[in-house]
Amino acid sequence: MAMLMTKILIAEDEPILNKALGEFLTEAGFTVLNAFDGEEATELAKAEKPDLILLDIILPKKDGYEVLDELKGNEKTTKIPIILLTNLESAENIQKAFDKGATTYLVKSNYKLEDIVKKIKEILGRDK
Amino acid sequence: MWFINDLNLKKQARDLGVKFWQTPGFLFIILGFLTIVIMSATYYISRNYDSPEMLITVESLVVVLILVVGNSVISLVEQIIKLNRMKSEFVSVASHQLRTPLSAIRWEAELLLSKFRKEKIGSKQRQSIENINILSGKMTRLVNDLLDVARIDQGWLIIKKMPVNIVAIVEESIAGINAIIRIRHIEVIFKNEKKIPLVFGDPEKLRMVIENLLNNSIKYTANHGKIEIKLVKKSDFVIFSIKDNGVGIPAEQHSRVFDKFFRSDNVVKYQTEGTGLGLYIAKNIIEQLTGKIWFDSVEGLGSIFSFSVPVNRKNKQKKCLADF
Repeated sequence: MAMLMTKILIAEDEPILNKALGEFLTEAGFTVLNAFDGEEATELAKAEKPDLILLDIILPKKDGYEVLDELKGNEKTTKIPIILLTNLESAENIQKAFDKGATTYLVKSNYKLEDIVKKIKEILGRDK
Repeated sequence: MWFINDLNLKKQARDLGVKFWQTPGFLFIILGFLTIVIMSATYYISRNYDSPEMLITVESLVVVLILVVGNSVISLVEQIIKLNRMKSEFVSVASHQLRTPLSAIRWEAELLLSKFRKEKIGSKQRQSIENINILSGKMTRLVNDLLDVARIDQGWLIIKKMPVNIVAIVEESIAGINAIIRIRHIEVIFKNEKKIPLVFGDPEKLRMVIENLLNNSIKYTANHGKIEIKLVKKSDFVIFSIKDNGVGIPAEQHSRVFDKFFRSDNVVKYQTEGTGLGLYIAKNIIEQLTGKIWFDSVEGLGSIFSFSVPVNRKNKQKKCLADF
């Protein structure tokens, strides 16, 4: 799997989290795109067509669910696997995410950066 | 009268966070008592004074009294329920807000560590960063515990129900504490009786319960102590038990063991970690899985903590939430 050209879009409004994640993914060999709100996320996703998206739920302008709906509804982006990366954990949130087509749901505070990378590789490996 | 007090009113007072004479239970008792007194007085008056006005007045008084006291009981209960809900919501919101900066701290520490894996870094600095990691990990666990407690109080704790290999969870949990038991020379024996079937429950929550019981045993057992874990099948249930020869729990604390924030006084001296929430959460999880949790303990001799979990029955296989 050629990782150099694998593009990951990070949609996270907390800048420190976004950048820490970005740096770790870059060290792991991925190309990283950063979005800090929902609108930026959908625009970047449509323009760059990343190979995978890490999406927070709480985002300004458009929240994660709206972004999810929009990207899944657009034929150009509907196939991109989307990992919901958030600290919200209720049953409704999780079920809603899966109902809207999220590939999986990770709770930020329970995951180390290296475990997130493992999950990403697992999902990308599955789709090949 | 006094033994009723001891059993129900004290507990009600503690649960609601008020004095015992403010509890609805006590107020109802007073109400009943007053009603009897007034009815007796009415009877006495009607016997000795032939006065319909007096009778009507007294009976109206009874009605008014019942309405007034009844009303105060209802408002008191409403107030308590509202306050409790606000408390739970506050814990939820606060814990949740804390998660974001905590994630940031942990990820930054992880980034630092991974960068310095490639370049040389002094061992003191590495230790500092690892300490930041460890301590923010502890904070995260506390925040997660508080969130679980708030969810339990609001009736929202997610419990999945699916077939679970409890033997594997026990083995993994024991492997997870290998370092500590080696350092403290504590012997941990796992006795697995015959073939333990799959149980019907939530793998993550069961792991939480088992790890909590295991950590408690370690915390309350001195160096060179011994811990025995057993899994036994008994009719439709699998029973997990963990026995230690540690400090035990004093008899007068037995009734509070599963209370929120309860921590025994005689924790082995250097083990100060712990939130006091583990058993409260564990009890709730086990009971939601239709099992039971119980313990036996003698101060100075040790404790045995046990819980039961229903066996998985084939036609009950279902996943409530996707595996994530």
